[in-house]
Amino acid sequence: MAVFHVQGSEKFASGSEDRGVDPERLDPRLRLHHPDDALSVDALTYEIVRHRLAAITEEMGAAIKRMSGSVVVTDAVDFGVCITDEVGDAVQVGMYNAQLCATMDMAVRWTLQNRSDNPGIQAGDMFLCNDPWVGGGVHQNDVSLFAPLFVGDELFAWTCAVAHQIDLGGVSPGSWSVHSKDVFWESLPIPPLKIVSGGVVLADVEDSYLRRSRMPALVGLDLRAKIGANNVAQQQLTRLVERYGADVVKTVMRRIMDDAEGRLRQRLTELPDGEWSSVAYQDQARVGDRGLYKIALSMTKHGDRITFDFTGTDEQVEGLINCTFAGLRGGVVTGILTLICGRIPWAPGGLMRCVEIISEPGTINNCTFPSGISKASVASAWATGNAVHECLANMLDAEETSTPEFMSVCKGTFGLSLLAGVDQRSNPFVTMLSDCMAGGFGARPDRDGVDTAGESPNLGGRIADVEMNEFAYPVLYLWRREEPDSGGPGRFRGGLGGSSCLIPHDTAARAIHLVSCSSGKALPQAAGLSGGYPGSASYEVIVRDSDIRNQLRESGMPIALVDIGGSAEIVPPALETVLDWDDVYYFEWQGGGGYGDPLRRDPSLVARDLTDAKIGEVAAHDIYGVVVSDDDTGFLIDAAATVTRREELRQVRVSESEVRP
Amino acid sequence: MTYVLGVDIGGTFTDAFGCDDEGRAFSAKAPSTPGDFATGMIDSLTELANTIGRPISELLSETAYICHGTTSTLNALVTGNVARIGYLCTQGHADSIRIQNAEGRHTGLSAEEKQNLSQTDKPQPLVHHSLVRELHERVDHSGSVIIALDEDHTRKVVQELIDAGVEAIAVSLLWSFINPQHEQTVERIIGELAPDMHVGLSSQLSPRIREYSRSVTTIMSTQVAPRLRAYLDPLTDRLTSLGFSGSLLLMQGSGGAVTAAEAPNQAITTVGSVLTGGIAGCVRLGALLDHPNVISTDMGGTTFLTGLVVDGAPVVSPTMLLGQYRVNTPMVDVTAIGSGGGAIAWLDHGNLRVGPDSAGASPGPACFGEGGTRPTITDANLVLGLLDANQFLGGRKQLHLDLAREALLRDVGGPLGLNAEEAAAAVYAIANSQTADLVRRVVVGAGHDPRDFVVYAYGGSGPVHCASYAADLGVREVVVPLGTTASAFSAYGLAATDVVLAAESSRPSTFPLDVDQVAAEFAALETTLADNLSRQNIEFASVTTRREVDVRYSMQLAELATPVGAGVIDERTVADIAGEFEAQYARLFGAEAGYRDAGLQAISYRAFVTGELPLRPQLPEAPTRASEELRPRSHRRVWQIARLGWQEAAIYHYADLYAEDQINGPAVIEASTTTVSIPEGVLGTVDRYGNLRLTFETVGQSNASVLSGNTTGGQ
Repeated sequence: MAVFHVQGSEKFASGSEDRGVDPERLDPRLRLHHPDDALSVDALTYEIVRHRLAAITEEMGAAIKRMSGSVVVTDAVDFGVCITDEVGDAVQVGMYNAQLCATMDMAVRWTLQNRSDNPGIQAGDMFLCNDPWVGGGVHQNDVSLFAPLFVGDELFAWTCAVAHQIDLGGVSPGSWSVHSKDVFWESLPIPPLKIVSGGVVLADVEDSYLRRSRMPALVGLDLRAKIGANNVAQQQLTRLVERYGADVVKTVMRRIMDDAEGRLRQRLTELPDGEWSSVAYQDQARVGDRGLYKIALSMTKHGDRITFDFTGTDEQVEGLINCTFAGLRGGVVTGILTLICGRIPWAPGGLMRCVEIISEPGTINNCTFPSGISKASVASAWATGNAVHECLANMLDAEETSTPEFMSVCKGTFGLSLLAGVDQRSNPFVTMLSDCMAGGFGARPDRDGVDTAGESPNLGGRIADVEMNEFAYPVLYLWRREEPDSGGPGRFRGGLGGSSCLIPHDTAARAIHLVSCSSGKALPQAAGLSGGYPGSASYEVIVRDSDIRNQLRESGMPIALVDIGGSAEIVPPALETVLDWDDVYYFEWQGGGGYGDPLRRDPSLVARDLTDAKIGEVAAHDIYGVVVSDDDTGFLIDAAATVTRREELRQVRVSESEVRP
Repeated sequence: MTYVLGVDIGGTFTDAFGCDDEGRAFSAKAPSTPGDFATGMIDSLTELANTIGRPISELLSETAYICHGTTSTLNALVTGNVARIGYLCTQGHADSIRIQNAEGRHTGLSAEEKQNLSQTDKPQPLVHHSLVRELHERVDHSGSVIIALDEDHTRKVVQELIDAGVEAIAVSLLWSFINPQHEQTVERIIGELAPDMHVGLSSQLSPRIREYSRSVTTIMSTQVAPRLRAYLDPLTDRLTSLGFSGSLLLMQGSGGAVTAAEAPNQAITTVGSVLTGGIAGCVRLGALLDHPNVISTDMGGTTFLTGLVVDGAPVVSPTMLLGQYRVNTPMVDVTAIGSGGGAIAWLDHGNLRVGPDSAGASPGPACFGEGGTRPTITDANLVLGLLDANQFLGGRKQLHLDLAREALLRDVGGPLGLNAEEAAAAVYAIANSQTADLVRRVVVGAGHDPRDFVVYAYGGSGPVHCASYAADLGVREVVVPLGTTASAFSAYGLAATDVVLAAESSRPSTFPLDVDQVAAEFAALETTLADNLSRQNIEFASVTTRREVDVRYSMQLAELATPVGAGVIDERTVADIAGEFEAQYARLFGAEAGYRDAGLQAISYRAFVTGELPLRPQLPEAPTRASEELRPRSHRRVWQIARLGWQEAAIYHYADLYAEDQINGPAVIEASTTTVSIPEGVLGTVDRYGNLRLTFETVGQSNASVLSGNTTGGQ
């Protein structure tokens, strides 16, 4: 609210959905490659070149994963790669973090408009950027590296790699500054900066980039990983152009985008027209804040076009949860790719031609400089994605088909559990725990959601083994498990979330610095569909001054927080604190939304869920209305009592509802 | 006379290969007998004895060893026909096999499958919740006991599992690879309560950090061990009753064999058994032909497998993918990159695609006339004249040209405005180009340059395509094994194998490494291996040991297996590890990629011991031509290169060829097991063992221009 205006900052706002590059703003010495428009490519050549472009993005992804030193990249798969045409339209994006793919074109376009005369764009250059107003990422931790590819003296295409960096400075370790009021409390954004020139890493530029980090070695390794990925892509693309000619390859690139666009239009035409709306909430903008903030979406589908109107969204706020237009667009693209484009090529440069976005600058998902955005990716950008997901899934649910392919909203955020301190080898460390990535997926119209499945903007991703975390960091896990009842109830149940519980262990500091930042604690974020209930809220507890050390010595491993004494402190959405030697940290992450009315769930599935400890008896009785008796052989359904109980619950609903005039 | 035999038990056929100590070699084939694969194996040996001209009892009584590759363990896991087992783990971590690190949902899926996010699912947990028990115990990362094992409680839950009727029990506790005491105590307790119960301990089966994969490996091995024993024991008895007194060996996924008696104790290592025979064949034939670097391409009717031999040894990965699981067992890195000759050509919204769907063996390609109606690569090959409808598989299967044309025209040609031949030519070129893409990814991904390799092409469908994809890859030469080994290449590889055993341990530590600790790790591993090798009960011609350690930059999640020098481990050996790691790293990711400032860590140590068997199969030499001239059997029009269209090609039959014969493309060679296409610009030469060697007219940076199947302009 109190964000002030910084004069001249407009220059860095890529902002709107405008397409193409203004030739007036290009240095005349920079020549762009344009293929002969009349050229057509036969089916054979098209398929060969298309396949190779897809193979190149896979090679880029493999390279970055192998070379990065950061679990956030290698395991959480918080990175993206893509190939764009000469003006930045994305032709082929890798199947990694979908949110990040949506922002590369903005950064390339901005670079063309603002860097072509000074310092110039030449072969062998690579630009680094972590300015989400420009694009190329959603918050400052997303650092992108993109490289022009020249054929002869013409700029032919761009290759891009972007990855989340563990720390780039700011007042809190990990750069998600929970005290942030505006961007000056955070890691300062870097607009496109030439860091590789003529194939050589510029030492002064690299130093000034790494100097801002608490973990320069790790960030440096990731920079090399992105350089490596771009190298791989540039070599392969060059081979492809040498073999088939620049015009043929470029014509294929154009056709890939046209093809994706045409297929999305066809798919949209098949779907019913209509208007759907949803509201996604976030709680607490910064430490101490008690506010609740909404992103309002009205989605209209007419014919082969789809419009996302965010009018009514709250104003930007003093805190770290805002996102720039890049984040908003990331949320929209994520929904389009993962829900409608399961079988349509991921060429955002074509797909986005079917999409219109209406949003007002100055709102929490289209904020202006210098709003705080350090948590943008998992805050307003992800929440935008949740709203988009809910509207798209409702539209898909309206289609009459025997083979529905969609799901309710999945785990609705990523909860930061950032640990810093002194490790068991007496070295400093900073890390983000990836456990909460094992969130529940939304239920489907024909089956349950996947338990501890992952997260919907990320196609891959895995959480680190407990042993790997205990080897690398000074912690001891009491448990890591699926949490019963965390999946949204429904005729088909949402996937379960889970929980981990750990204590400091084997650290000379006898304490660990903790930054916890997870929204969705005051209210759930994974909405259900068609009468399905939402998935669970995030929940975290620190038990202070517990009896855990004695217990481990004397009576073994506890299985519940209530068994370990001390005083439980519920962790708010944003907190920076210290875990002392006798403190226990418990964090629980969200399940997915349910589908359909839980009173219509097959009672045998409810009994199975009880046997498998996916739900508890209270939920079976009070939410699913299934009456069971428990004996040695398992849970037996009392069919008659179940009918009665379900009727009872329906009557309760009737009595609680009010009919508005 | 002394014989050595190799038997490859595939899903359809069981191939046998045998050779004697006078340099003669034989092969035979019998249908596989799923359900009781041993019967098919005995049948194939009976056929082999017939070929040799001696009764099976005489053959077996003079056989030193039989090495066989079996689908038994793999089938058991894939079909879920495994033992019902109990699983014991550390308290608080039973859900690890349900959470599956969240990777279980997407591991092993193709890009297409991953992309359709809402349709992805996890596999069922390997052991049902009701047969999982958490033990009261805890060890930390240093091996220190935080909570001592509660033996009374353990006794109670083990008894529960016994009462539930489990056939075996798998035990995988946190940090057991550092401190195995708790697992050993659990094994003792199970032994007290149920002396005959099979027990699998993670500290023995997979002593490697990362509990999820370790538990998966332990569970799977324990699940298949009883089945493997139930297969091997009667097989051994039957062979013995037929007069066999040598060693029965079983191929492992690592590319080396183990004796049948020892196999069930490490059952998981045999999961990849059936996939490795071909690579073993490439290793052995490569040694004979002086090809240290080989790209193995095995294209059958339903699969296309590729693997690498580098410096004479197969490239082995420390893990293997099995469905949606990653299992900790050394495995020859065989990658399935396609669906073979049955891959279907289709239009994806107007764009021509080939695969990944396959018509498989049933209904098969349209031209089989067995109910398949969709056009496949095999149909395209037939339309292009590369296959002869009457000579497919040596005439054993009649093909129907009209059905192939009809399918191609209907599904591909018509909508694209092409005739059946043009459609077929496009399918052929796309299949070859995509094969080159995928093979290149395997080669480059392993840090190598395809130009340093020779392609070996086998499997029924491969040789029709190999000249084209090999040219695209830029390799020097292609070998199509067509001598005695032709119909039983994998069985040949099995007969020629060595016994290879592996052992590993995890001891994560940061550089600089402590020399005494490294020496102690390898000393312990090598003692274990020496012990295991002596239990194989075979006199070896020689025994060699190889060491490696998994190294990474600190905090990386992926390690590189880095070779460690032989002999006494001293300062020098250990100092060389870092240099070797960084050299490999630079080769994989480029010179600018390494970043020593991040620091190095060693994670796991591994040692391999290879026992060379006393008898090596020798391949008989093919005769050279006496007087008469090499003549094609006929001529026909073929379409091999899109740019050139139809050409008149000479058609040869392999039976007419002699060593040193040379054939210039365009030509086609028909053999009883496969068909070889030799396009213009390619020279085929028969070598002294009867293999066909293809070389390219233009040697150098790329052969692609010669054989480019593509038009570079528009149409």
